Amino acid sequence: MRANKIEPFLFIAPALAVLLLVFGYPIYRLVVLSLQTTTQGKQAFVGLSNYQIIFQDDVFTLAVRHNATLLICVPIMVIAALFLAVLLFERIRGWQFYRTTLFLPYLLPITVVGLVFSYIFQLSGVLNDILNGLGLKFLALDWLGSTKLALPTLMFVIIWKEMGFGVVLFLARLMSVEEELYDAAKIDGANWWQLQWNITIPQLSTVIEFFTVISIVTMLSWVFNYVYVMTGGGPGHATMVTELYIYLMAFQYNHMSLAAAVSVLLLLVTGIFIFLELYLRDRSSVMEALG
Amino acid sequence: MKNTVRIVSVLVFFALVLTSCAPAVTPAPPTAAPGTAVPTTGEKIHLVIWWWGEQEAPGAQKWMDDTVTAYEALHPNVTIETVLQSTDSLIPSFTSAAAAKSGPDIQYFWGGVWTLENAWSGAIIPLDNLIPASEMSHYINNFERSYDGKQYGIGWYLSGNPMVYNPKLFQQAGLDPQNPPKTWEDLKTACTKLNAIGIVPISGGMKDGWFGGWLFSILARQSHETYKEFMAASVGNAKFTDPQFSEWWSRLAELKDAGCWNSDINSVDYQQGQDMFVQGKSAMLFSNDTFLKGFAATPGFGWDSMAVMMVPKWGTGKMADEYVTTAQGWGITSWSKYPQQDADFLMFMHTTDRLNAWFADTGVFPADDRMDTSQITQPILKQIYTWDSTIAGANLENFIPSQLDNDSNMTGVQLLFSGDKNPTELAQLAEDTITKWRTQNPDEVTNFLTWSK
Repeated sequence: MRANKIEPFLFIAPALAVLLLVFGYPIYRLVVLSLQTTTQGKQAFVGLSNYQIIFQDDVFTLAVRHNATLLICVPIMVIAALFLAVLLFERIRGWQFYRTTLFLPYLLPITVVGLVFSYIFQLSGVLNDILNGLGLKFLALDWLGSTKLALPTLMFVIIWKEMGFGVVLFLARLMSVEEELYDAAKIDGANWWQLQWNITIPQLSTVIEFFTVISIVTMLSWVFNYVYVMTGGGPGHATMVTELYIYLMAFQYNHMSLAAAVSVLLLLVTGIFIFLELYLRDRSSVMEALG
Repeated sequence: MKNTVRIVSVLVFFALVLTSCAPAVTPAPPTAAPGTAVPTTGEKIHLVIWWWGEQEAPGAQKWMDDTVTAYEALHPNVTIETVLQSTDSLIPSFTSAAAAKSGPDIQYFWGGVWTLENAWSGAIIPLDNLIPASEMSHYINNFERSYDGKQYGIGWYLSGNPMVYNPKLFQQAGLDPQNPPKTWEDLKTACTKLNAIGIVPISGGMKDGWFGGWLFSILARQSHETYKEFMAASVGNAKFTDPQFSEWWSRLAELKDAGCWNSDINSVDYQQGQDMFVQGKSAMLFSNDTFLKGFAATPGFGWDSMAVMMVPKWGTGKMADEYVTTAQGWGITSWSKYPQQDADFLMFMHTTDRLNAWFADTGVFPADDRMDTSQITQPILKQIYTWDSTIAGANLENFIPSQLDNDSNMTGVQLLFSGDKNPTELAQLAEDTITKWRTQNPDEVTNFLTWSK
């Protein structure tokens, strides 16, 4: 009896040990490093002063603000992906071609996307050449070289690249929705909007939640490549984000402890959203079980 | 019984996993002091070199391959592995290696602070006991890597910043190619004339930031007597808002207002800005002498399509008359098992045959006074060599904290060109950045204080 109680723990112990080694120890080291500083070549405990320093750094607060601004991309991506998925589900002419086209950006490496869009959005780039050719010179702006336009331009590219995942996700779920639900609603006289509002969205709620949370985490901690390739955080600090700030602190300025402090904060914030996703998924499965 | 077998199986498996995760037993490192770990004859030695340089001195890869082959032929027990780093990965890769105390035996470094930050963190060792003083005395620009009486690295090749111009475009614009601009006013007048014929006067690219640091090094010096004034301001003995330190922002703004630059300067990279000159789209460049041979080899362009001049003057400081030069170079890591062998290879790079081959392969001058100068037949390169050997001055970027370079110079120049900040605000940005650096880096401030003496 006693052996049976211990047995499950013994079975998961190897996996737990690997998890602790791969995730637990690095996180522990990160937290310890964030509480230390290098003095005379040695690590010394300094409590929370690294955190105090980074909160006083205006570049850090700017980076956080930019990450928060990037969150605007999330509802845009969700709504656009949902709309496109519904259109594809309704099998508009050429829907198979559109499905591939919409998913393709998601498969492309971010570096390639960033480089291509860097050339497109230069002041003397392809987009402005086209705009000038069409007589729309007033729209030919310095998309990446202006502090006001660089972040919105970056957001456009992120939306273009990341939205395809949402479309495929939503479409896959739509394919499994029982058609009888739509047929019954149509017989009851529901129009297109009512169908979407009362059937599509409720049926897709779990994947919408999933995509929303994943997108939030992306905007907070997965945009480094876009920024690094397209703007390098500039002009000025107009596109500085938390990840780039960590990179600069650690590898350009040799402030490993400050970089660790910011990493801990980023880990905490993204962790909250990951747990939120897990909670929502858990709640959904409970609700499904209750019928 | 069945349960016992299962429990034992799980425990055995668990033990195997733990065993496989344990660090492998490695032989203890040699306990000899640096410089004394001379290998016994015939002992197999493998050296790893992480380097950079092909990017700014095309032909360096060929020279490096030939040099390694020649050295391995002379030392059959030594094998050398070279890894060419990209510009963006050069520093991060080494920072990671230094944190793990594992990586290259010999590492490429830019001069000054880029080298010494690694000496301060203990990642590289002094070379005084590894390379004889008589040998070291031939190396150029050693001062960039000296700290507290010790030499933490050596130079490899020289990299200077002339202003390059296109004589043909000058002529088209009614400018005298034999008499290029000498003063700031001359330069602005030249811009007006070049704009009148539809040619971009000076091209540059700020998107990746680097060029902002170059402009600081080239322009900010003109009101100063020595690079040590910038070190003094870094540790708080002067302010970057003082007129002497801030005037260069105004002078740069004057060039912007005079229409001297390409309008897309903020949205193109450094290299794209340089390419505009070779494509005949711009008439002048704040450039690098290591690029010149590459420019001349571009189809449709040649040595006759360019000439070099000193940067026109606006200041009266001693540094205004200097030619900005740095020696890109090497350091030996503190974890290398064979520092003496590393040093031997570095000295081999400085043998006359290798120095002459370096110039032949790259068109760039080695950081050594033993090169056969009769090889220099190209008039433009002769001019560069004259400047290098008579009026060379420090590259300022190497004598300020990299945080100031990144957060003030590089971003500040972008903000000037985007119109978001004026010279006064940019001087304040520099002062705010250095104040922040002092708060965040008390240790490095102490090192800078020692270094600036």
